[in-house]
Amino acid sequence: MSELEQRLVALGRVLDVPEPPDVASRVLAGIGEARTPLRRRRRLVLALAALAVAALLATLAIPDARSALFRFLQIGGARIELVDDLPEVAGPAELELVLGKRVSLAEARSEAGFDLLELDEEPDAVFLGERGTVWFLYGTPDAVRLLASQTPDVRIDEPFVLKKLAASGTRVEGASVRDSQAYFLSGEPHVVMLLDELGEEIPESLRLARDVLVWEERGRTLRLEGDLTLDEALELADSMR
Amino acid sequence: MRAYQAIAFRAAYLLTGSAADAEDAVQVGFVKAWSALGRFRRGAEFRPWLLRIVVNEAHNRRRSAQRRESLAMRAAFADASGGAVPSPEAATLDREGRQALVDAVNRLDERDRDVLACRYFLELSERETAEVLGVRHGTVKSRTARALDRLRVEVGE
Repeated sequence: MSELEQRLVALGRVLDVPEPPDVASRVLAGIGEARTPLRRRRRLVLALAALAVAALLATLAIPDARSALFRFLQIGGARIELVDDLPEVAGPAELELVLGKRVSLAEARSEAGFDLLELDEEPDAVFLGERGTVWFLYGTPDAVRLLASQTPDVRIDEPFVLKKLAASGTRVEGASVRDSQAYFLSGEPHVVMLLDELGEEIPESLRLARDVLVWEERGRTLRLEGDLTLDEALELADSMR
Repeated sequence: MRAYQAIAFRAAYLLTGSAADAEDAVQVGFVKAWSALGRFRRGAEFRPWLLRIVVNEAHNRRRSAQRRESLAMRAAFADASGGAVPSPEAATLDREGRQALVDAVNRLDERDRDVLACRYFLELSERETAEVLGVRHGTVKSRTARALDRLRVEVGE
């Protein structure tokens, strides 16, 4: 061990860290909550989700309240953050760099590690990206008609796969795809970025996204992005098999 | 639970710089770990697995609070204890040296600080650090070497 390393260890032993609190009772209370019978818990979760969506929609109608309430929404491996101001995005993203390695549809089917949900129309290009994400591109990287992605759900000890930042010009609506909770972001573009396995933002992935439907189904998070109305997005989502 | 509480809190505190956030990260992390016990790999080490869950919670809290730039560490001045014989640790670094090293670590970026905190402040092995940070063993080696190089520059060596 070098002298600098020895100094770091010595420093670590005298760092001013407060006494650890005894969280046992709070943890046990949390575990008790988690042990609530599944059916009852599902009902509770559904009721809470319905309340949250109702409250969210009500809240979004009041611009000033948006900054104080419901700052975060989580769905599968995606986190939607409602922010006052969007970060600056330097020009259009190099979409092909963001999406990952270009593969054939057959390769994606065999390498994805899960059964892909596909639209009737075959994509024009397929990519394998960060964190096991499979991207279907319709159109070209310069003229995207539709961008569909699916990412296997993160494990409990993994950070989110992508983060969306939506300001007041972006409307967030609750929806449902085959009984799965969904959110539809429309209006002004929102910022989307991918996170690596440590939860670090991947700077080159930062880009402005258009209307997008995001939902969680069969152990994966799905997104459909394009110039879409909610009805069009839901119709496309329902057609995915 | 109590056996891991202290190191989990220490890890979360070093990453968030906030006792309240660290306490929340430990509590939520422990409940998540309990829920995920079924997915714990047989034969794997429990401590780094648990720490990884807590550390991820701490990371999320740090980001939510936009405290990414500050580790908010302070050196405790153990040698200010009324003239007692200084501990070996206290003797290794004097007060100014400690604060200068804390300041230098705080000037590093998040990845460098995290790997140094795991390896030297929590005294985790390279293998445990890899598990906690969710990276490969070789990545811990290279990140640690790079972080130490950058720290040497910061402290003017």
